[in-house]
Amino acid sequence: MDSKEKIQQEIEQTLQSLENVKRAEANPFLFTRIKARMDKKANGWEWVLSFVSRPAIAIAILLLVMAVNGWALWGSGSDETITTDNGGISELANEYNNVASVNNYDYENLTNE
Amino acid sequence: MTNETELIEQLKRGDETAFKAIVEQWQDMVYNTILGIVQNETEAEDLAQDVFIKVFEKISSFKGDSKFSTWLYRIATTTALDHLRSKKRKKRSGFLQGLGGGSDEKEEIPDFHHPGVSLDNKERAAVLFKAIEALPENQKAAYTLHKLEGLSYRDVSEVLNTTVSAVESLMSRANQNLRKQLEEYYNRHYR
Repeated sequence: MDSKEKIQQEIEQTLQSLENVKRAEANPFLFTRIKARMDKKANGWEWVLSFVSRPAIAIAILLLVMAVNGWALWGSGSDETITTDNGGISELANEYNNVASVNNYDYENLTNE
Repeated sequence: MTNETELIEQLKRGDETAFKAIVEQWQDMVYNTILGIVQNETEAEDLAQDVFIKVFEKISSFKGDSKFSTWLYRIATTTALDHLRSKKRKKRSGFLQGLGGGSDEKEEIPDFHHPGVSLDNKERAAVLFKAIEALPENQKAAYTLHKLEGLSYRDVSEVLNTTVSAVESLMSRANQNLRKQLEEYYNRHYR
């Protein structure tokens, strides 16, 4: 038998190698695993993460962030003014003193003030 | 009302016991179909879980126009093919990223062993599965459903939503492609 015939014979035998193949059996705990996944999915976080990590959504968010950054840089660069209003600073200091004087931990007596 | 119809009606009402019964009744069929297409046991198990979750979520859309098993085969086949497509996309983008570092292509060795194949056919079947892996997806689906699940051409046509003659044509082209690939394989390994 020459090699060509031998190869043809191999091909025929290989093509027939799936005859009488038995069905592969799934993991007997398949339902338990499905149930666990469904319970996990139900709390919503997995859905949110999978939604955000979708390439189209992730790219859209990235583009939006870049656009907002670009707009902020462009907008603030054109009419940038440095305010040296000392009045504003003193107002802030007064306000801070007022806030700091309140005892934040004394929740129960707040109504008596 | 048959047991199957009853289970489906119960599942439509969200009955967990019915869902468990459905999973247990059809899990081997779904797993075997997916395994034949993706040729990886871990991935096949994950995808089988996906299929049943889809069944639970989409059961209201099952109107009973086709057999429940046909509907299930359709979901399993689509899920497996979608998975292969996304895997291929990732592989392609990985290849593009790796172009800078240089990639050495080596011949892939048949490494998938279907658990249902008898021991004396194990090596040959692995070679055949390697050839099946390279088939276009519709030929792969038809071949897997017919050879691994034993579906008739009519049943395959219902799953793939096509005609019997289209399935005959798919199977004929699949066989031609497999012969061609096997010839190349044995030519390489006989020299």
